[in-house]
Amino acid sequence: MATLKVNNRALEVDSRPDRTLADVLRNDLGLIGVRVSCSEGECGSCTVLVDGEPHTSCLMLVNQAEGHEITTIEGIGTTDDLHPIQQAFVEEQGFQCAFCTPGFILSAKAFLAENPNPTADEAAVAMSGNICRCGAYPYIVRSVLNAAEKLRNEAGTQAAE
Amino acid sequence: MKSQMGDRAKFWAGGTDMVLLWQRGEIDLDHCIDLRHLGELDYISVEDDSISIGAMCSLSALERSADEHHLLATLSEITKLMCTPQTRTLATVGGNMCNASPAADLSPAFVAMDAEAIILGDAGERRVSMFEFFEGVNKTALRGNELLKEISIPLPVAGNIAAGYRRIDRTVVDIALVNASSALTVDASGKITKATVALGAVAPVIVRSEVAAVPLVGRSLDALDDAALAASGEAAAGDAKPISDVRASADYRRDMVKVMVRRSLADCIEQLKG
Repeated sequence: MATLKVNNRALEVDSRPDRTLADVLRNDLGLIGVRVSCSEGECGSCTVLVDGEPHTSCLMLVNQAEGHEITTIEGIGTTDDLHPIQQAFVEEQGFQCAFCTPGFILSAKAFLAENPNPTADEAAVAMSGNICRCGAYPYIVRSVLNAAEKLRNEAGTQAAE
Repeated sequence: MKSQMGDRAKFWAGGTDMVLLWQRGEIDLDHCIDLRHLGELDYISVEDDSISIGAMCSLSALERSADEHHLLATLSEITKLMCTPQTRTLATVGGNMCNASPAADLSPAFVAMDAEAIILGDAGERRVSMFEFFEGVNKTALRGNELLKEISIPLPVAGNIAAGYRRIDRTVVDIALVNASSALTVDASGKITKATVALGAVAPVIVRSEVAAVPLVGRSLDALDDAALAASGEAAAGDAKPISDVRASADYRRDMVKVMVRRSLADCIEQLKG
């Protein structure tokens, strides 16, 4: 039995300790926005935020996540109220099939928290741990830059208020 | 804990290699001892005479340490070649060393910098040079219950040291076909007092080429021309014992050693000249 803090909720999971975090998030908690593709930490589909840092959840054992704040794509926006980064991906068509998109968006979230005003090159390097098999990369970079602008404007508005 | 559980238990650092071995059934354990609870092994500190990197320091923390010292800046550039941003947050420096892959990116750099492993055991601490720490593919100098605590990089009391690293790879997120790291120490007058060249992926362990230092030591930094660097690379290639495999032929690897050594030395010189 482990207690995981996922998307601001404390959830009990009954799991063997040798299962991966990705497996438990998907199959026990139904958070299927956590995509599993390569299962060896190369493709970035399973990226989640752990205390705000991006982690490949397919390489983490579930017990290693205990006591940490886990954020999945389900935790950052809803269909009616998209997160600015999600909105930016929609506007810039930063995907085709969208399998990889949750991982990209979470990587972008961590990256933009650190670098709110990146160049296109910096954004491309920051997204290098995520693979898009549709090859939407140029659109993804534009999405990240658009998201950066949205987040800066949001922060500016908040500061002004 | 390890002494109670014996061989059926293994230390687990970032786990990025271990999870894969576990899933493939290549390791069989009853217990894994999660070292992430040992926050006190997660540090980087710069002193006058050494740089200390805790074994549980993540690759992303090492990546962010570039501004603290120019050797850390070199190591930071190396980490950017390793896996992906979201795996570097998990993977640790100590775990990468204990996995003891001959193609690991940080290993030749630590050997070139003459770093030491500080090892914790039941009887206390002991120090082993990073060169001797690697005993074979996935084999280290750790015995029984011992645990890698820290990598300690000595700094020259007078003068300066710089290190360079180069590798040949096929794509990003790939392991090195061949890699090389070199470190040059100069005294206040700009004379090379020490040169260390280390090669990866050309033997089961990291190779330290003594002969590669011969064309360099004793000369002034300004007198090091392309011919000297090429001679060093040539000498280093003689110490390489590469194999041919699906990734590259032995001849190609030996040729590339020359190039990697030459370029890593050029990087050192550029840093030392500022």
